[in-house]
Amino acid sequence: MSLEYLGVAGLAVYLVALLVVAELARRARRDQSPADHFLAGRDLGVFVLFLTLYATAYSGNSLLGYPGEAYRRGFSWIMATGFMLSIVVCFHALVPRLRPIAVAHAFVTPGDWVRHRFAGEPGARALLAGVSVLMTLALANFLFAQLKAMGEMADQVTGGVVSYEFGVFGLALVILVYETVGGMRAVAWTDAAQGVLMLLGLAALLNWVLGASGGLELMTTQILEIRPAAALVPDARECANWVSTIGLLGLASIVYPQAIQRIYAARSGPVLKRSLAMMSFMPLATTAVVTLIGLAAIPRFADLGAAEADRVMPLLLGEWAAASPLYAVAAVAVFIGALAAIMSTADSVLLSLGSLVAEDLLGRPRDDASTTALGKKVAAWTMLAMACGAMFREITLWRLIELKMELLIQCVPAFLLAIHWRGLRARPTFAGLVAGAAVAIVGVLAGWKRIGGVHIGMLSLCLNLAIAVAGSIWARPRRSEPVRPSAGLG
Amino acid sequence: MSARRRLRNLLLVLIGLLYAASIPWYRTTGETPALWLGLPDWVAVALGCYAAAAVLNAVAWWLTDVSDAPDASEDREGAS
Repeated sequence: MSLEYLGVAGLAVYLVALLVVAELARRARRDQSPADHFLAGRDLGVFVLFLTLYATAYSGNSLLGYPGEAYRRGFSWIMATGFMLSIVVCFHALVPRLRPIAVAHAFVTPGDWVRHRFAGEPGARALLAGVSVLMTLALANFLFAQLKAMGEMADQVTGGVVSYEFGVFGLALVILVYETVGGMRAVAWTDAAQGVLMLLGLAALLNWVLGASGGLELMTTQILEIRPAAALVPDARECANWVSTIGLLGLASIVYPQAIQRIYAARSGPVLKRSLAMMSFMPLATTAVVTLIGLAAIPRFADLGAAEADRVMPLLLGEWAAASPLYAVAAVAVFIGALAAIMSTADSVLLSLGSLVAEDLLGRPRDDASTTALGKKVAAWTMLAMACGAMFREITLWRLIELKMELLIQCVPAFLLAIHWRGLRARPTFAGLVAGAAVAIVGVLAGWKRIGGVHIGMLSLCLNLAIAVAGSIWARPRRSEPVRPSAGLG
Repeated sequence: MSARRRLRNLLLVLIGLLYAASIPWYRTTGETPALWLGLPDWVAVALGCYAAAAVLNAVAWWLTDVSDAPDASEDREGAS
């Protein structure tokens, strides 16, 4: 049987398995409440929480975007291992403080924190709306990137038997079904299986790629001959970009709505910290591996264009499968693992988006079954809109991630600064958020993606922070003024 | 501050230093690298730093107190 048909058969088996998991998750649900649907009843244990964190963080961007970026930029893309690790490091600043508050006040969405922290303050509603809008835009962007990656992967590995368009719409429909039926429980359970598949698949692919390239040393020597700039010591601009990317990804990723919701969904604090400790090693097991895979593609495919470079992974899988029938079966396993990773991120994003729009943007109560129903409807319409948008294939995946991060990072003061500094006030935080987002958007539209290697998102975050801090200090009650009672939180 | 918390903070500082060392800002731009373990030397250093940082970060999480008790946190939160 050829790779194309093996791929189609593997895909069919996998999709059926997903639907079975969804049905099991539906039977395991306790009620129709948002906490049960969006947070799996706050009962995720170490193993499932770790794998769902893993499968959610490592997505289509990691598996298609990162090898593509390694192919484009060369060895300096080892920075990706650093910035993926920086996410787990930056969580130290948020998790120990946010988790007990979230438990005490039964948070469901990221907006619940903003509502709680700034309750009763002037500007609190505007801040909640601003944070929710930015998070919704970032999630929609993220979903768009996952759908694009699903289509590419399905098309390339099945040799067009499953077309790009069918890959996008068909797989989107499957995600929508199991997410709607099983909620976070189905998402987390499928994530766990998807995480294991992804790890095994990547290990097998790396083993083959390095073997076929004659080992690391020969691969590096060939890269030095074919494209020396990819292996030479990078310049100051690239180093500045390295620092900026670590900051951008590390900070923005901890305010991913789906990551925040996993902080809420853990069975207990100790379970959460053990999962995060295990997550520390995943950048080495995943990001470093996909970077090496992208680098190994430089001598193999000399002339790929910018957007074409995102297809490095499927192209390698095709070559691997052609080497022997056994490899063809292994390549299909990797294909399913990669697709699984992409789908697991898309399902988490979709679930988060539904809850965010229903509760934070539309103001539905967090303990009402109608909020769950509305969240499902929002998810369905958003999926349809993004799937239509994904028909535009010529945007690189890495650029999509950067756009998302530049917006998302503007929410950092409302979470990270607010949780550490009592003096932060809602109105200046909102003003900072608006100014930061405006500068980031204008910068991206004007083509100023980076200034001196530093992302426009990082520069606009500095402006955002300056406004939030200066405004909060300015708004502090003077000694002669009566002190406002503490803001009725909780 | 407890010894456990001091150790955790020390580990976080060490992780910061490893990050600073991982970026080849101190090397000459465009220099042809020697190969270490089959990789350009500056890449091997970066990877080594990230591996060490991963171990330290896992230990730091092990030492972190993530409580579910609301009263312990409400005193510290930036609200109230």
